[in-house]
Amino acid sequence: MASEDEESAIFVVKTTANQERSVAVMLTQIAKKDRLDIRSILAPDELKGYILIESPRASIVEQAIQTVPHARSIVKGQSSLDEIMHFLTPKPTVTGITEGAIIEITSGPFKGEKARVKRVDEGHEEITVELFDAVVPIPITIRGDTVRVLKKEEQS
Amino acid sequence: MAEMVCRECHRILKGQTCPVCGSGNLSSDWSGMVIIIDPKRSEIAKKIGIETPDRYALKVR
Repeated sequence: MASEDEESAIFVVKTTANQERSVAVMLTQIAKKDRLDIRSILAPDELKGYILIESPRASIVEQAIQTVPHARSIVKGQSSLDEIMHFLTPKPTVTGITEGAIIEITSGPFKGEKARVKRVDEGHEEITVELFDAVVPIPITIRGDTVRVLKKEEQS
Repeated sequence: MAEMVCRECHRILKGQTCPVCGSGNLSSDWSGMVIIIDPKRSEIAKKIGIETPDRYALKVR
């Protein structure tokens, strides 16, 4: 193969929203069938409507997406691995939430309630909070991605 | 059926046990997908230490 030793580059392909994974899977099948030099495909959840393809040349990616439904176009230019590194090591969702912070719950049965953070569990990505409006302070444990920080740590 | 992810090796799979590491420690709560096609020449595969072509989740809870 001509591209045996060529260096990888990252190309961005625009897709229909919420079809990123299906496009990635279909591109994999095409790459295998047509023996195209696509080395990996990345579909991070943070990047809606786009997928990242590792290949040595844009023309290969262009060829691969031709017959794939929901794959729209290749974005001009290319990225380096350093630019996409942060997608490979996602931060825990509780990052930035500290004990004593005031948060608002954004989903679940307590949606819209304000609460104070009592404990942060980084390993399980959970936080334990006490609701402001509760008559008796009962600690509840919720997922770190279902809250919005209103006020950072408060000294009292 | 929702796709599951092995908590040990992060592979995305369909059954109840991971066919590669044999673990039953699976999770349906995962996000981000990376498909490694050519691990020998893929820089991404080298960075995340993957040696076999497969579908992997970036994050598993």
